[in-house]
Amino acid sequence: MSTTGLIARHEWRRLGVQPFAWLLGAVVIALMAWQFLQVLQGFIDLAPKLGGLKNAPGVTDLIAIPLLRSFANLLVLLAPLITMHAFAGERRAQTLPLLLASGIGNVRIVLGKYLGALGFVFVLIALVTLMPLALDFGTSLDVGKIAAGTLGLALFAAALTAIGIACSAWAAQPALAAAAALALGSLLAVVDAGARLQGVGNAGINYLALPTHLEPFFRGIVASVDIIYFVLVSGVALALATRRLDTLRSRSD
Amino acid sequence: MTTPAPPILVLDHVSRRLAGRTVVHDLNLELARGDVLGLLGVNGAGKTTTLRMIAAVLAPSAGWVRLGGANLYEHPQLARRRIGYLPETPPLHAELTADEFLRFCARLHGIAREKVAGAVASVIDRCELGDVRRRPMATLSKGFRQRVGLAQAIVHAPELIVLDEPASGLDPVQALKLREIVRSLGRDHAVVLSTHVLPDVSACCDRVAILHRGELRHCASLSKPGGGALRVGVAKSLRAEDWLRLPGVAAVEPIDARHWRVQLVPDVAVSAFVARMVEHGFGLEEVRAETTALEQVFLAIAAADAPAAAA
Repeated sequence: MSTTGLIARHEWRRLGVQPFAWLLGAVVIALMAWQFLQVLQGFIDLAPKLGGLKNAPGVTDLIAIPLLRSFANLLVLLAPLITMHAFAGERRAQTLPLLLASGIGNVRIVLGKYLGALGFVFVLIALVTLMPLALDFGTSLDVGKIAAGTLGLALFAAALTAIGIACSAWAAQPALAAAAALALGSLLAVVDAGARLQGVGNAGINYLALPTHLEPFFRGIVASVDIIYFVLVSGVALALATRRLDTLRSRSD
Repeated sequence: MTTPAPPILVLDHVSRRLAGRTVVHDLNLELARGDVLGLLGVNGAGKTTTLRMIAAVLAPSAGWVRLGGANLYEHPQLARRRIGYLPETPPLHAELTADEFLRFCARLHGIAREKVAGAVASVIDRCELGDVRRRPMATLSKGFRQRVGLAQAIVHAPELIVLDEPASGLDPVQALKLREIVRSLGRDHAVVLSTHVLPDVSACCDRVAILHRGELRHCASLSKPGGGALRVGVAKSLRAEDWLRLPGVAAVEPIDARHWRVQLVPDVAVSAFVARMVEHGFGLEEVRAETTALEQVFLAIAAADAPAAAA
């Protein structure tokens, strides 16, 4: 196993024995299950009227995609909470020298921390996606559209997690790291709100916003430009985290 | 004739600035396998910064830290298998058990998967952690946490072990146990430990280096605390030049008007030196080995405010 995988597995193990991670997971699943039941009830109430419409939206558009979109909003808050301890927690507990003295390189350390946190986020995404997929037993779903939506959600989560890791590397306190990651994630989520309110949808400012690149996935469109955007955001954030570790080595902590 | 072991660690004119202040200045040190070097100094002397540079946690501002001849900062991967580091606060992931944590540390330091169990069992046995190995480390006493910290530093059997205040905060029994472990490590490894507890150095180390204001002020073997110097009492009033004219005298410094600390050239017999003194009519009254206690040296250096003159 590579050292990156070793650190990722170790992070996973540490999350697994902490009540915080279980509590966070339980709250998220309970909240999403409640939302799922709400949209399901809304669909059941609306179903008789939909029968008379031509090309009426189905279960996928009225239950699965809104649920995934709602979870995307929750991820803006969730990712900072999951990543805040990655480096800031180590610095507060004075355990970072364990990794810095291991001679395995800052890039591998950052990637290991990132993959460990991302694994936890992906499990939550999988559990939330399973909710609408459970309806496949009683109705027909547009599995392709759900798959595209889940892919978009995974890329969106990967970008937010990378931002969280970068903030955790830069901040000395976990709470500060979470606040910074939340602020940055929220900024990237609403940066084009003003333009959209004025009906502008294809300006440079729109391109910067995370939702601009997430929405096509929810419409079933998987475009390479959107994938590249999320990969770029993740890559820049992880490069900044690595740069921060370099600085900590040369500056001490 | 035996050839001295080549040094594992060489600090070559190492300096380090932090927040605009020179914390370590022009430090030169060597350490070979079997050496246990005690780094002494008051708080703020630069001990922890020096150890961080040796452990590759911190880069020097100037100079080189060489491990087995290679620059540690050009080859940081050398630290993985060859250095074990225990910082002042043991870097423990307290939510895990000692067993889980040490397995991770062994893998982190490159121990092959099939050898991890053996390495962990060995280090648990050596640090006497058998009774607590399956307990979360958050529930362990400070003494046991310190031992787990030491265990993570030696689980991969590194050539060089770096310990920052390993006995800090321990009760006398725990401190004694830890000293025994450190002393036993010195048989197979090179060990450098920092402390400001003098008995720790006397008990564990065979060499001592005293840092003050980031500078190396004293480095000597503990078997010869005075560095092999003689304390000589004379009846006549002499000048340093008078001493240096005597064959076999390497250095001299006055203690008071009638007493001098004299350093002989290596291999010059004391009897020959005494004979020359008598021959030159120095009025010899007393000659004995300088036995300046470590504590006296340490306190004298700690009390000195002026920066050391260049050696």
